[in-house]
Amino acid sequence: MTETGFYILLCLREEAHGYSIVKKTEQLTQGEIKISPGTLYGSLSKMEKDGLIQFIREEENRKIYCITKLGTQVLDLEMKRIERLYRSMQEAK
Amino acid sequence: MKDTKTEIRFFSIPEWKKEESYLREQHKNGWEFISLSGLCVYRFKRCEPKDVVYQLDYNPDSLAKKNEYVQMFRDCGWEYLQNYAGYSYFRKAVSEMDGSEEEIFCEDASRLDMMKRVFSGRMIPLLVTFFLVIIPQIIMQGRIDDPASQSLMVFFCIMFVIYLGLFIAFAVPFWKYYRSVHNNRR
Repeated sequence: MTETGFYILLCLREEAHGYSIVKKTEQLTQGEIKISPGTLYGSLSKMEKDGLIQFIREEENRKIYCITKLGTQVLDLEMKRIERLYRSMQEAK
Repeated sequence: MKDTKTEIRFFSIPEWKKEESYLREQHKNGWEFISLSGLCVYRFKRCEPKDVVYQLDYNPDSLAKKNEYVQMFRDCGWEYLQNYAGYSYFRKAVSEMDGSEEEIFCEDASRLDMMKRVFSGRMIPLLVTFFLVIIPQIIMQGRIDDPASQSLMVFFCIMFVIYLGLFIAFAVPFWKYYRSVHNNRR
């Protein structure tokens, strides 16, 4: 999973549109990760096609999405993987 | 002193990075891009010299949902300029970016996806022409022994070289991106 993909799933545990994912990711990472619109548009289309997220409704030309059951499972696996990486990192110190 | 100017510039299919820097250079020199139309005719108007980043996206699917596509870029501060041959043109002033220089793609994976879209939208038709028209014509005309066929043969040989050049110019950066993306993956 790409970093952008991870943040999209993380943010879409609540309903949100594209730009609010950008803002929330920026907040979570203290401005370190700024998702670009081309990458965001491509990732959202791809993830919707793969059934990881679903389209809810449209507001002022902004599509609102939410994570699906499959998306939640994938996110959980990814979180466990990252936790394991982090633990190993601590133990190896 | 004229306040607008027109330039004809030809950028081949894989050269969108060159086109982006051409537009940025023009703006730096006080020429703001207005439009691109016809056969590669670029129109500019005089402006205050400014450092503005120009970016191209190739996403034919987005044309059907243009409003939401453009809105997403606008939300992120990118001005949508126009569409030309399937490419969407965007710009954003460096002064509006906080600190680091922004692009419309922030990951190699999505840069590679754009190359794949360009490949299937623009290169596949060329490949079909290459294998179904140019190569058969060279073989056929080479067998006939009269001046008309010989000049046709020369024409198709020139086409052969141009197409081959295009394929190589596309394949080299594509391969580089492809490798860098795959090396980054676990």
